[in-house]
Amino acid sequence: MRCFAFHLMPYIGLDPAYEGPAWVTVPNELYDPAVGHQLYNRYLDELIYAEELGFDGVCVNEHHQNAYGNMPSPNLIASILARQTSRIKIAVVGNALPLYDPPTRVAEEFAMIDVISGGRLIAGMVVGGGPEYYSFSVNPSYARERFREAHDLIKRAWTEPGPFEFIGKHFRIRYVNPWPRPIQQPHPEIWIPGAGSLETFEFVAKNHYSYMGIPYFSFDVFERYFSMFRDACEAEGYTADPLQAGWLVPIYVAETDEQARKEYEEHLWYFVKRLLPGITIQPPGYTSARSLASILKAAGKFMLNVETWDEIIEGRYALVGSPETVADTLIDSLGRLGTGNLLGLFQLGSLPHDLTTKNMKLFAEKVLPRLRAEFPEGSPVYRPSAKVA
Amino acid sequence: MVTFAEEHVDTHVGKIQLWRAGSGDPLVYLHSAGGENTHPALEQLAESYEVLVPIFPGFAESEGLEEIDGMEDAVFHLLDLWDILGLDAPPVMGMSLGGWMALELATRYPEKVSKIVLVNSVGLHLDEAPINELFGRTPGELADMLFADQSHPMAVVMHQMDAFAGDVGKETEIPLELVLPMWKALGATARLGWDPYLHNPKLRGRLRRITAPTLVIAGAQDGLVPTVYAETFAAEIPGARLEVMQEAAHWLPFEKPDELTALVRDFVG
Repeated sequence: MRCFAFHLMPYIGLDPAYEGPAWVTVPNELYDPAVGHQLYNRYLDELIYAEELGFDGVCVNEHHQNAYGNMPSPNLIASILARQTSRIKIAVVGNALPLYDPPTRVAEEFAMIDVISGGRLIAGMVVGGGPEYYSFSVNPSYARERFREAHDLIKRAWTEPGPFEFIGKHFRIRYVNPWPRPIQQPHPEIWIPGAGSLETFEFVAKNHYSYMGIPYFSFDVFERYFSMFRDACEAEGYTADPLQAGWLVPIYVAETDEQARKEYEEHLWYFVKRLLPGITIQPPGYTSARSLASILKAAGKFMLNVETWDEIIEGRYALVGSPETVADTLIDSLGRLGTGNLLGLFQLGSLPHDLTTKNMKLFAEKVLPRLRAEFPEGSPVYRPSAKVA
Repeated sequence: MVTFAEEHVDTHVGKIQLWRAGSGDPLVYLHSAGGENTHPALEQLAESYEVLVPIFPGFAESEGLEEIDGMEDAVFHLLDLWDILGLDAPPVMGMSLGGWMALELATRYPEKVSKIVLVNSVGLHLDEAPINELFGRTPGELADMLFADQSHPMAVVMHQMDAFAGDVGKETEIPLELVLPMWKALGATARLGWDPYLHNPKLRGRLRRITAPTLVIAGAQDGLVPTVYAETFAAEIPGARLEVMQEAAHWLPFEKPDELTALVRDFVG
């Protein structure tokens, strides 16, 4: 298995008097650039620290006009990491392809990061969250179509000699011929984040990419999703490799279970109550009819609807506790999900720098070695027999 | 009491639903973003006319949304439909989104409509009074815009549906049958009116080309489309007549069916 440190770069210190959603319409007067300056540099330090601690990689992602995650351009952050790290994978999870016009911009910027970093980029491609369609006014009823077409264009731009002409429904480019080309051949590893759409499972399976489960659902939802993904791979005539699946989950490790809760709880609720509201907005036409039922089944099992600490722990919305507790839970969870990539959110909500780095250090020293021993790279991860009641 | 019978019509874009009732001269009704296949005023009008309600691709069970990329395609769909149904130049009543569609047809092919009735039509953008946000609303928020009287039975039901909605809803099992029709209707509406939002920047300058007598009706309490839109249509469409109804909002056909029926009968003849 491989372990990544994922960062959302949330805004800390959202005005307590503000009670609205953290997305799309959250007034940007509430953003203090001086606070932002501190946060960006602090968060970069935390990602760079992940390399020192022996993580396999770091992850950043793209969101717009919100307090939840302040990386409208994850590529800018990734390019800094390309210079300031030397070993770890840099996963941009991902670029929201339908928002880029022309999408060759993604082919270019990803290739730049790959070349600068010496071939350490993982190229994430995502349809984009519901709120982004309000923030960009891109027609959500074309979300899947634009995603597919942009993906085809980017992949061709990386793998076919240019110049060539691309004529699609949404994008037409007379001369596709990007400089630079990626250093990883034929192209960087491609990850696709998804939130349960059947089309996404099938697309990832068909292309032999990796499926990253978008977080904040209860554990049984992920069991269902990754089972559906394995089925989609079987339908394509092969068994999914563990590295084709990744589970993103908030993690907090402290000396004891009690101390972990004491240090973490208020910061988790800042995330749930202040930063999540608004994230679930579903723009019209964004989901297909056949995926709607599957997604609705999960709607009530979303972290936003969670009210108590016990629900957080029981639903594995976040893994919080001593190194033993977190390692035991992770070994059971990864086996049941079959995910060979663990994407841990070690900073969540308003969690301060000192606790974030303490968390990362304890995890790297006391949890990660157990996971690596349990799931050596190249061996199967999925253990249906490991199911416990 | 008239009941509408369901038919299926093969069109160039796919098989669509068509609801038909009554006898006499035809009256085509183009539905709103809600995809309604009837309402109390239509039932009354079916006592005087043969009322035809084609359901636009993407709404309810009508196929073919993947062939529709905007109002240009909607107009060609209507031209095909006229041919299939043997209509030459019928009177057309358009509700909200359907009103916009009727105008896109009538500005391009004025000879294809004999009379136009617009009810709370969209299609323009006026800087001084933007159309309210239709998308991303809970049913309860929609009810606040659509009804002048929140004690209307439909408004009451919509407010109750908020228990199932997004961030505010706490129900864990969301019934698919409750969500699917509205979800499809808004998805199809987005295809036509997400960007530009419920309007065509070119439409206003083309309204002068309409030759059919036009009746423009607005609900004075419409929380979605301000009355100034109806006033603008009436001012720009040659010879158009304006009727603003009090104690009525966007879903005026459900709130004021008798008054609407009387106006339409009198105007269409």
